[in-house]
Amino acid sequence: MLSYLVATGITTGALYALVALGIVIVYKATEVVNLAHGELFMMGGFLAYTGHVMFRLPYLLSLVLAVAGTFVIGLLTDRVAYRPLMKEGLVSVLLATIGVSFILKGIARYLWGGKGDYLAFPPLVSPEPVRIGAIMVMSQQLVVLGAALALMAVFFVFFRATRAGKWMQATASNPKAATLVGLRIGRIYMYTFAVGAAVAGAAAVLMAPLTLLYPDIGFVLFVKGFASAVLGGLTSIPGAILGGLLVGLLEQFAAGFIHTSFQDVSAFIVIMVVLIFRPTGILGARGLRKI
Amino acid sequence: MPVLHGNRAFLVILFTVLAALPLVANRYLLFVANLVMLYIILALGLNLLVGFAGQLAFANAAMYGIGAYGAGLLQVKVGLPYWIAAPGGALLAMGIGTLLALPALRLSGVYLALATLAFAQATQWVLLHWQAVTFGAGGFPVPQPDFGVLHLSPDHGVYYVTWIVTVGLLVLAWRVMRSRIGRAFVAMRDSEVAAQALGIDVTLYKAMAFAISGFYAGAAGALYCSVLAFVAPESFDLFQMILQKAMIVVGGLGSLVGSVLGAALLVSLLQVIREFKATQEIVFGALLLGFVLFQPRGLVDLLKRRLRGWEEPLHGP
Repeated sequence: MLSYLVATGITTGALYALVALGIVIVYKATEVVNLAHGELFMMGGFLAYTGHVMFRLPYLLSLVLAVAGTFVIGLLTDRVAYRPLMKEGLVSVLLATIGVSFILKGIARYLWGGKGDYLAFPPLVSPEPVRIGAIMVMSQQLVVLGAALALMAVFFVFFRATRAGKWMQATASNPKAATLVGLRIGRIYMYTFAVGAAVAGAAAVLMAPLTLLYPDIGFVLFVKGFASAVLGGLTSIPGAILGGLLVGLLEQFAAGFIHTSFQDVSAFIVIMVVLIFRPTGILGARGLRKI
Repeated sequence: MPVLHGNRAFLVILFTVLAALPLVANRYLLFVANLVMLYIILALGLNLLVGFAGQLAFANAAMYGIGAYGAGLLQVKVGLPYWIAAPGGALLAMGIGTLLALPALRLSGVYLALATLAFAQATQWVLLHWQAVTFGAGGFPVPQPDFGVLHLSPDHGVYYVTWIVTVGLLVLAWRVMRSRIGRAFVAMRDSEVAAQALGIDVTLYKAMAFAISGFYAGAAGALYCSVLAFVAPESFDLFQMILQKAMIVVGGLGSLVGSVLGAALLVSLLQVIREFKATQEIVFGALLLGFVLFQPRGLVDLLKRRLRGWEEPLHGP
């Protein structure tokens, strides 16, 4: 029982970590939480479904399709909701991203929602469970876990070692100074939104075989991803990953030891408790209040 | 007596028409008019908090639900008469709304928005899963109050109660926003630090903003349970949140007449497209996005520039 809960918790936690990663990437650079992030995830899942199931493309090709699609939607989000409004203030940007999220949800409901609302994505590998020591794990879960870890490693390297990654970090830590040394921060913000969205797309493709796809899944995942991000401190990439795993485990334990219905609500409780008692999270920088 | 024009004329005409409506309208039209008034109350309460006091909170739909469940359950489970249960529901929402101000004292911006959003979703979870008290996902019927003494049918009686409460709450909002409290809200929104420097007790006024807003949403909820004679958790979901946000943005953030205008227009629009969930999401999402981008001060700003005598002081962004 315990080992099963741990295995499931780590797998779902790895996915939450990926959603959180996208939220953190965008927040670090722009100090905005993209409230449409969950819907980007949902669109990624449906794009992969369209490619893989409806057009019978190979899985990897549909992964590329979904990542490219969400990347473009991310670019558009920056163009319509962030770039014109960043000077107007946070309230405007947040309201605009809510607008975007509902538009995306409505579009998904039009395009994919009419067929019983819950779409099943075929499994990638054989459904046979694998035994590791005393723990039985679905092989699908192992694939997801491995891919999630690989993605995290890619982003870790991206931020540390590539020029684009360093530009994003520079813009995040001090936009004015970044402008002074010649970075075009408008463009960097745009790519930040797009990269954050692409992570959501990739996470969606990994997750799709484990769950069902439906137009309202975006908000569910967003809440869990945000809970993970905020638990990890909202500005820290290792924090997002740690937070994701903790939320995944916590949720499984709540479901296993209290009642299954507590699985849904534990993320909300994490968000409220962390924000009220320790807004900087576990690994977040001790922030000064900005005036 | 001053000549009625502009915003005052709009309000007087609107509420006169609403008062006379039961004489001519059928049940469906009466129900829609009832909804319009409920949403006027909701939009007023939300606008006081978001538009005037500058606290971007997302718990309004939850407060609405708490008011409705409070009023309904006090009648069904406790057996209180409607006239005590309904204010009870509103006061319950006001109390919980005030508690929500506690996180707001430490949080702002994104953090406040998401903490209140999480609170709203947790509230809905409680309504769905605490079956012993809330009757779970199926909801429960609530008896309508009896207006036999006044020779009114329940429908008409409930309608006039809603009308009286709506007008009363509109006048109250008007008075409060023109008082020291309203000015403190606006000062706090424009700059918390500057407001503190002017001697405004930010803690007190934030709590007050959340309390007033919670009371308005709770009152709307208590009325809702008598209008529909039924309460179910799905009435207080995420879509409620965007609907109410869209109302105050379309009407005009920081404008009382704007809240009225936004509520009336969007409820009517909702009736036209009520069959299609996807269309609703796209239309209301696009309205919210479009107004934030192209007309951030809302319709009221357009009217103010076009119409003579539209003299509400605007506190929009």
